[in-house]
Formats: sequence, structure tokens, C-alpha cells
Amino acid sequence: MSAVETRSSSRSGLGALVERFPFLPALVILVALLALNGWFQPNSLGFRAITGLISTYLALMMLAVAQTYVVYAGDVDLSVGAILSLVNCVIIVLMERWGGGGVAVLGAIAIGILTGLACGLLNGIVVAVLRLQAIVATFATSIFFTGLALYVLPVAGTPAPTVYWRTYGGRFFEIPFVFYVVVALAIILAIAVRARLTTQMLAVGDDPFKAFQSGLPVTAIRLKGYVLCGVFSALAALCITGDTASGDPLVGGAMTLYSVAAVVLGGTALSGGRGSVVGSVLGALIIGLINSLVFYVGTPSQWQNLVQGLAILLALMLGVLVTRRVRP
Amino acid sequence: MANLTIRGARKAYGATVALSRGDFDLKEGEVHVLIGSNGSGKSTLCKIVSGSVRPDAGEVLIDGKPVSIDGPRAARALGIATFYQELSLAAHRTVAENIGLPELPGKGGIFVDRARLNAIAERHISRFADVAGEGFSADTRVEHLREDQRQLVEIMKALATEAPILIFDEPTSSLDRAQVERFFEILRELKAEGRAIVFISHRMDEIFSVGDRVTVIRDGETVGTSQISETNPANIIRQMVGETELAVTEGAPPATVEAKAEAVLSVAGLSGKGFAGVSFEVRRGEILGFGGLHGQGQSAVLRSIFGVSPAAAGSIRINREERAIRSPREAIRCGLAYVSGDRGRDGVVHGRPILENVTPIHFLRNRLSLVRPGSLRERAAKPLSALKTRFAGYEQPVNALSGGNQQKIVIARWLIDRPDVLLLDDPTKGIDLQAKADLFALIRSLAAEGMGIVLYSSEDAELLANADRILVFNSGSVSRELTGADRTRYNLYHAAYEAA
Repeated sequence: MSAVETRSSSRSGLGALVERFPFLPALVILVALLALNGWFQPNSLGFRAITGLISTYLALMMLAVAQTYVVYAGDVDLSVGAILSLVNCVIIVLMERWGGGGVAVLGAIAIGILTGLACGLLNGIVVAVLRLQAIVATFATSIFFTGLALYVLPVAGTPAPTVYWRTYGGRFFEIPFVFYVVVALAIILAIAVRARLTTQMLAVGDDPFKAFQSGLPVTAIRLKGYVLCGVFSALAALCITGDTASGDPLVGGAMTLYSVAAVVLGGTALSGGRGSVVGSVLGALIIGLINSLVFYVGTPSQWQNLVQGLAILLALMLGVLVTRRVRP
Repeated sequence: MANLTIRGARKAYGATVALSRGDFDLKEGEVHVLIGSNGSGKSTLCKIVSGSVRPDAGEVLIDGKPVSIDGPRAARALGIATFYQELSLAAHRTVAENIGLPELPGKGGIFVDRARLNAIAERHISRFADVAGEGFSADTRVEHLREDQRQLVEIMKALATEAPILIFDEPTSSLDRAQVERFFEILRELKAEGRAIVFISHRMDEIFSVGDRVTVIRDGETVGTSQISETNPANIIRQMVGETELAVTEGAPPATVEAKAEAVLSVAGLSGKGFAGVSFEVRRGEILGFGGLHGQGQSAVLRSIFGVSPAAAGSIRINREERAIRSPREAIRCGLAYVSGDRGRDGVVHGRPILENVTPIHFLRNRLSLVRPGSLRERAAKPLSALKTRFAGYEQPVNALSGGNQQKIVIARWLIDRPDVLLLDDPTKGIDLQAKADLFALIRSLAAEGMGIVLYSSEDAELLANADRILVFNSGSVSRELTGADRTRYNLYHAAYEAA
């Protein structure tokens, strides 16, 4: 039909930009929140406050990245928080048992990352190989992982060795340790964006059946997504352990859905096939800034949750509206 | 290069046999055309070769050696690439990425080699550069492309595999003349290189312009292979129809409608997405058939009359009154009814009781908001029993019923308050023979009571047996009208397969 309009020519420049960088709306919201924070509490934009913000929300940033890799392929992982709790307990117990020295810490970290990997592998087998529904299956494994965490460390409170939290909260060459972690994360993400696996995961998320017909190994790709998710959840656990300096078998429970919210705030489609990890990191920071803003504005404590929830809802709506407006 | 042979391939989905005996033989250096009417089993045969359907019986041989193709990946490894009729593209990925999938050229183990990917993409894009139209480049996302451009990407994706065996399942359905010509030039080059090519198309002129041999498939069986140079279109259509059916007029009912009966629905110059310049009239008591190949605009016309996606131009008159229908709600209030074969999407309210599924139109047309359930049941009972619907109780969820009974529920909802026009959009899809017979008996009696009926069916036999008049659709417009004794299977195929 010659009557079909050419959509490509009517696409605005802004639309093309958001399509290329789906995290742009999130970036705008982030800048606005920074400005609001600065307005209500000028100190909040200082070096110390920003360092504090990052060391508190680095775990959520990692967890959002973890979630992104399964969402890319059209899946979801409701066990990321439980994996985080489990790894947190495992490394705390191992470090204590091995004496809390430098070698003990490194050994515990290695075991912790392997634990996360194993959890991701289990999720991948259940969802991609056995083809159970992702939401229900990972909800079930989350209960299982929480159970394991409670077995490893029945009561919260065992402290982390001094060397661990001093390093996490400390400085090297006048620069806080967490900034090095952020740079390392940026490098890893820059590598991941260029990986074949990322494009293949997005193609699977777009339409798994068409991807299968194209000859993509759909099951293996979804499995790899869950393994990556497990590893990044373990990295998130390392961060939360540095921040809280103790073990807690229930520490990650509430963080699961925050990670999903961060992914969506960052402009990634929950249906899969479209999005960016950078957006998820920004999404995690947006949640962090909303929480601090609620505090700086002086919201009475009994109203804090309510205001927080409304603010996140508002940010979500803004992001969706902007994206819809520029790319119809 | 390779030769492919299929022997006795069979595939059934439950009780429906999609392919009963598929024999096919493909030689290197030829374009082998596969032709058959709607649902004859061509696509199933192709899907068996491309690995997305596993046959129940039969064998596939490559160069004389039996092979097992247990997935698209296995097909790829054996050197078979496929153009899928419904396309296999990732909408949010770029043209280049789609052409490069699934392997994607790599470097350093994990990275995509963007330079090489773009080089491959450019090489294929450049061959279509002057016919692809605007907005087509390596870094455009597929979601922004027109239908014909997407088809070109799917073609390039198949070509980029460099596979010795290529299967093209209706690759030209949306392409314009220049794009088709370019594609044929490429096919001829590939043929010269010794590739083996399967080509499916419904356009006779295309088949005779590019094919070397043709295999005809009818009712799930391959009926014969001949050299293109030794046959002609009439011969091929005769093979598709079957010798026994040629003379018979399918026991079609005589056109009982008086020419004087008033027109209940008249459509003039209707144009929209997928159809253009469609005009017709339906008189009271008449069953007007829409025929032709799948997706030539029949459904689109019905859906646009019903206000699902309103037409861009044209006029619709109901009982001689001009109406601008912008939504199904308005269409219903104007006295239109629409029943789709896609019950899941357009018909049943899932998981809700039968009573709720029978009464929504009654509520809408009478602007009701509060009703006693008892009186509703009384109203629902009549059409349901007229349709011989079998169900346990009004509170039973509709999903518990068979496809045929679900469709009866959907039709019953239109019969509490009689509409003037009933639009049937392939209404018998996936329902059993008895339910079909009940349905057509009902449709005939509704027509006799003075309703105007438009029936689109993808099954030609149904159309020939039930419609008083048939409009054959081709590429979005009406190419021929069959009335009286002209309503034969041969004429129907002939009109449907004519060059657009």
C-alpha cells in the first residue's frame, strides 16, 4: 500500500535520542531530585553527603543491575533480595570462623560470589530449563534462599571484621573506596553493553519464539541471564555488608521490589527487549534521593513511607509520560 | 551445495491433520515453487524443514543421507535458512543486528564486532538500496520500518546465513514490483551459484517468472511436481482444485434473495489500512461472502465497518442512513453485530460465567444498569437453545466449554436483541463439524428472517456452500464478484490467484 505513512521521517530528534539512550528521562529526574535536595539542605550536595549516599545505595545499584539482566530477556527474579541476604550471612560467618584477617576476607568474598552464582544457576534451571513461571518460581526460590540464610546465621548481629568495613568506608589517596567501586562497575557495564550476549538477551526478550526460530539458543541465553543476576546480587551483598558491617538473614527482603522499581524507573521495559543497565543504576539513585529528600523536607516519621511511596509513583509516571510523549 | 528430499512427512495437531503425506524433492541450482490453497500444508512442510515443527512421521534426507532436524539451530547447522512468513525479527533491535542474529560476528571472545556486523549488513542493504524506500538504514530499529521494509530485512537475514538451502515462505506478499524484481535478480544469482531454493507465493506471474519446477499440495498431500516450462496457470489451478471438484457447483443454494429487497448495509469507497476502494451492498435476507487468500483485506474491512479501526475514507449506510462509526459501541447501537473467529481476543469474557457472556450486548443496547438475574436468564435461554448450546448451568465459567460451544455463546449474545447486519469474520475457526453445521443452519434462518449477513471464511468450501454471492478479495480490493452458477471452486481460485 502506498498510502502507508513513513513513520521514520516524522520521528522527532528527541525521540531518536531517547531511543538511543533510554535512561535520559531517568537522568532528568535524577538531576531534578539533586536540585531539590540541594534546595532543602545545601549540605546534601557536599562531598561527604554524596559519598554517604553512594555507600548506602551502592548495594541497590548492584541489585538493580542484577535485575536488569533477567528483565532484558523478558524474565524477572524475585529472589535477588534473598540471594543478597544469603551471601551476606555466608561471608559474615566465614570471615568470623576464619579469624577475620585479610586472607579470610578475600576467601569469604570468593565463596560469597560463588554462592550467588550457584543461586542464579538454580533460578535459571528452574525458569529457563524446567520452564516454570518466572514470578512464581523465583518467589519460591527466594523463600528457600531465605531459609538457607537463616540456617547459616539464625540471629542477626554478628559483626563484620574491622578490616572489611574500614576498607569499604575508608579512603585511598583521599578518594573514598566506594568511588573506586563505582568506577569498576562503570567499566564492567561498558564491557557488558558491547557483549554479544547482551544483544542476544534483548532479542530473546523481544519475542522468545521468534528468537528461537532465528536459531538463538534461547534456553542457554535465559540461563546465563539468571547466572549474571546471581553474581551481581552477590556483589550487592558485599556492598551491604560493608555498609551495615554485620550479618542479617533478612536484610535483603525489602530490596527485591526496589530493584524492580529501579529497573523500570531507568526506562527498561518489564516485557523485555528494550532498556539499559545505566538506567537501572540511575533508578536506584533516584530511589535513594527520594528517601533522603523525604528526610530533608522534614516529613514526620509516621508519614515518611506514605510520602516516599507517592514520590516513587510520581517519578514512575513522569518517566512513562516523557517516554510515551517522545516516542509514540 | 546440497539436495534435499522429504518422504512421507506427516503432522497432526490433535485431530486436525495439517499434513498427511508430504513428498518433496529439491535439487541444487533450482528455484522450486510450492503452491497450494489456504491451509493445504505448505507452511507445515516448510516448518518441518526449518526445524520449528517436528513431524509425526516421515524422513528428511540431505544428499541422500537421513538427517534429524530437531530445532532451528539444527537446521542452521545443516545449512538450511528460512524466511518466515510471519517474520522472525526482534522489533527493538536495529536492522544490522537483526541481519547478524543469531551468531553476530564476534571479537575477543565476548564482544560484538560492530565493524564487521555493519559491513555484512551494508553489503546486503546496498543491493536493495534504491528500492527499499526512505528511512531504511543499518542502524534503524525494525519497529520503525514499514511492512515491506521488514520483509526486506527478513530476506537479508536469510541471505546473510550464506546457507546452501534457502526456504522463502511468502517473501513477496508486501513487496512492491521493483522490490520483487530486485529479489528475483538475487534469486537467479543464488541459483547460478548452485543454491537450492524453495519459493512459496500465491502470485502466478511471480511463479512463472522465477520458478524452475512447481510442486502442488492439496489437503495436506503433495499431488505432483512438474517443470514450469511444461505447465501453465490453468493447469496448476486444476491440480490445486482436484479433478473431481472441477465440474461440481458445490451444491450451492440458489440465490433466493429478491433483487428488489432493500439494502440494509451499503458501503462505498471504503479505504483504510490494508484495503482500498471497497464498495458493496448487502440486502435483507442475503448472505454475502468474502473470499480470497488469507489477509487480502477481508477481516480489515469487517473490523473497520464495526468501528474497531475506523476507515480513513468512504461511507457506510445502514438502512439507507449515513453513519460515521468510530467505535464498536456506536456500531452496536447502529444495529451491527460482529463475530470473530478469534474468540480469545474478540469474543469470550474469560473466566466469567456463561450468563455474563451472553448478556453484555443486551445491557448495552437497552442501556440497562440493574437487572434481576431471573429475567436475564429467561432472555438468554431462547437463543442458547435455538443454537443447541450444551452447558451445565448459567454460572459455569465460559472457559469450561468447547470451542464450538463458546462460539455459540458469543453468537447468542447478539440474538437477544436482533441486529440488522451480522458481520462474521471467519467464525468457524477451530470449531468442530457438528457445531459448524448448527452455525450455518442458524445463519441461513437468520437471513430468512430478514437479517443481512456478511460472511468471511478462510475455508473455500464453507463459502461456496453458504454464500449467495461472493466477493473475491485480492491485495486489499475486490477483484471479482461471483454470483449464481459462477460460484465454483475453480472460479474462486482463479480470481484469488490472479496477478494483483
